[in-house]
Amino acid sequence: MDVRSQVSMVFHLDKCIGCHTCSIACKNIWTDRKGAEYMWWNNVETKPGTGYPTKWEDQEIYKGGWEKNGDTVSLKGAGKFRGLKNIFHNPHLPVLDDYYEPWTYKYQDLFTAPEGDDQPTARPVSLVTGEHMDVQSGPNWDDDLGGSPDYARQDVNLNQLSEAEREAMFQLERMTFHYLPRICNHCLNPACVASCPSGALYKRGEDGIVLINQERCRAWRMCVTACPYKKSYYNWHTGKSEKCILCYPRLESGQAPACFHSCVGRIRYLGVLLYDADKIEQAASAPDDRLVDAQMDIYLDPFDPEVIKQARLNGVADSTIIAAQKSPVYKFVKLWKLALPLHPEFRTLPNLFYVPALLPTMATVANGVYDSTSKSLWNGVESNRLPMKYLASLFSAGDTGKVTEVMKRLMAVRLHRRGVTVGDLNSAEISQALKEVQMDGSTADEIFRLTSLATFDERFVIPPAHREESIEMLESTADVKGNTGFGFKRKPERGL
Amino acid sequence: MTTKTFSKMRNIIVSLEWHSQFYPKILYTLLEHNQTVIMKSNIGHIQKWILRSGILFCSMFILLFSQLCIAQDGEAIFKQNCAACHKVGGGRMVGPDLIGITEKRPEEWLIKWTKSSQSLIKSGDADAKAIFDEFGGIMMPDQALSDAEIKSILAFISSKSTASTASAETKPADAAPVHSSENATPDVIELGKNLFTGSVAFTSGGPACLSCHNVDYKGVIAGGLLAKDLTTVYSRLGGDAGLLGILGAPPFPAMTQAYKAHPLTEAEITALSAFFYSVDKDTVNQVAGFNNYLLFGGGGGLVGMLILIYVIWFIRKKNSVKKDIYDRQLKSI
Repeated sequence: MDVRSQVSMVFHLDKCIGCHTCSIACKNIWTDRKGAEYMWWNNVETKPGTGYPTKWEDQEIYKGGWEKNGDTVSLKGAGKFRGLKNIFHNPHLPVLDDYYEPWTYKYQDLFTAPEGDDQPTARPVSLVTGEHMDVQSGPNWDDDLGGSPDYARQDVNLNQLSEAEREAMFQLERMTFHYLPRICNHCLNPACVASCPSGALYKRGEDGIVLINQERCRAWRMCVTACPYKKSYYNWHTGKSEKCILCYPRLESGQAPACFHSCVGRIRYLGVLLYDADKIEQAASAPDDRLVDAQMDIYLDPFDPEVIKQARLNGVADSTIIAAQKSPVYKFVKLWKLALPLHPEFRTLPNLFYVPALLPTMATVANGVYDSTSKSLWNGVESNRLPMKYLASLFSAGDTGKVTEVMKRLMAVRLHRRGVTVGDLNSAEISQALKEVQMDGSTADEIFRLTSLATFDERFVIPPAHREESIEMLESTADVKGNTGFGFKRKPERGL
Repeated sequence: MTTKTFSKMRNIIVSLEWHSQFYPKILYTLLEHNQTVIMKSNIGHIQKWILRSGILFCSMFILLFSQLCIAQDGEAIFKQNCAACHKVGGGRMVGPDLIGITEKRPEEWLIKWTKSSQSLIKSGDADAKAIFDEFGGIMMPDQALSDAEIKSILAFISSKSTASTASAETKPADAAPVHSSENATPDVIELGKNLFTGSVAFTSGGPACLSCHNVDYKGVIAGGLLAKDLTTVYSRLGGDAGLLGILGAPPFPAMTQAYKAHPLTEAEITALSAFFYSVDKDTVNQVAGFNNYLLFGGGGGLVGMLILIYVIWFIRKKNSVKKDIYDRQLKSI
């Protein structure tokens, strides 16, 4: 057993209101620079929709992620031979048009335009070329089902559905959508790290954050294609690739990442998961229908004395183990089994888990009659407005059973709380729902509490960083003892 | 300053004589270069300046004076610049016999022709074109002579023509000595080859032909590319007679300067002429149209590579994923 710690995340989609505050918080801190204008390390997509970059989920286009190859996995678009062959021309690289051309407006023209018959306008100007441009698309052009013939209907996840099911999704009174905020998943088996010819990408030992060394990056851009989530971006100005750094400077000082901190709907949870690194290859190469279970098996119980012992042997700090025991992510993912990874079939073992949105049917239309009466309060999970097949394509590699189970758990909590707060439901119905998912009332209350009433410290259990120990793993701090107290990266031109 | 530096300086000045615009700069550079020497010998500032100005003045004076001297002697200029290809009485060589030319053509036309025969032909002068065609399309090199110099040459020709017509007799001895390269012995050809490559030095110390010229011939390494390829020079420049004239007093500016102080001997010219004959006839070593092979081969190779690249990377992301969306939107407008 090779126990390591990983800072992991849960996004509760039922709570996301799609306000993009997270995206703006991230943009203002990290990507408001020349060459990075088009990057959205954090973005919020509407599902169904094609996302950003457009159709990022379609790996037949972008060749990202891993493929099962016998007992192990190999990169779909890179690797030793293919990497060498394509090193000067990466044939599946996304182009700027796949994202969008970033722009601003010439606001000054509103003030300096000469007097005339028309209102002055602020024309859009490209942030890449500086020329006037006609805006063709943006990072969330399909927001709230905008332009759905072009975007929502092109959603890759609809491929699993029959023609009739697809049509049904876009009928009036049935049409629905939910939001999908995305950041880097800081995967356990990151394809971006594996694909880099320069070895510039690495996964930080102490907390598992995946980073790009800006000094070693040689702009091969293999990570841009290899990441199936398209969360590694090429900065055309600096000539280096960049990605979400999970705000590690904030984490190291005990603050939640900016997108977590600013979240209006409080949908985000962050905490440590302990995992067994020996099982990564086995989990990544599991057959499709076992992928989610295999990944869940990697994560260990932080209360198990054997796990704690092995963790200590591996240099995991006690404070990190305590943080793992308090981790809201451990509860959502392992204890309550409410959260699922996004597209586990990419086999990167992502560490960002999603609690799917419930989206129950509130009424039906039959023969032109709007009927809001139903057997049970929310018509049951099976008649969810988003087909289970669609959700399964997103969260469980096509296994509808997995998604249905999660939905039933969520529904059980909802029914239980309805019983507590309103009390208009038949108690037999509630206990039947709880029994079906083997949940007791107190667990349901706990889930409710962490979902709805959690405080800042309950949502973000950030382990102390122990940077001093991490540094000592790489270099001896005694080397600089007795020196000036701080070093110089470049020798000063004065002094002796 | 040492004697060695002076002679070095003079050589450079002489070799750059026809680039008169460079004189001051070259001299100045040389003086700068020698400044360290002067300073080491503890000559004061004023003395140094006097020395520098003196050298500059003397050099300019020598150069100007030498040019003035040349300009006064039509016969000397003729021998220097024209005699390689022309005679005044005694038959045609590479170029026509110039006897009586001053009566046949107006002086203005002759000056134009001498300065640039090609410009005159291009300007549409029918006579000029006819002469050019008559002499097998061998162009007369442009002569960097002043009007006064050309006039002095014409005066010389005119006086010689009158003398020749007055005596009314042709001098067979004046005709080009015929050395028949066809009958040259292998030894002579070998000597010519060695002179060409520089294995055997010219008696008067002129540079070997190989440094500027190339011939395709067995046992001769690829020569310089500064001047024309001489593989077919024998047939191109009028055989023995032409080569004799050209090698005796080269009419091409760079060659004139190179061999002015180092003329070739009769025997050397004969040997080189024999060698060029041999080169011209030995077609085995001449690769016809080599440059075109390179061009078409390279072009073909490039096209082949492009096709190969296209095939290897046929499966690739060819368009933006939004192309369909943009196309549809544009169509709906």
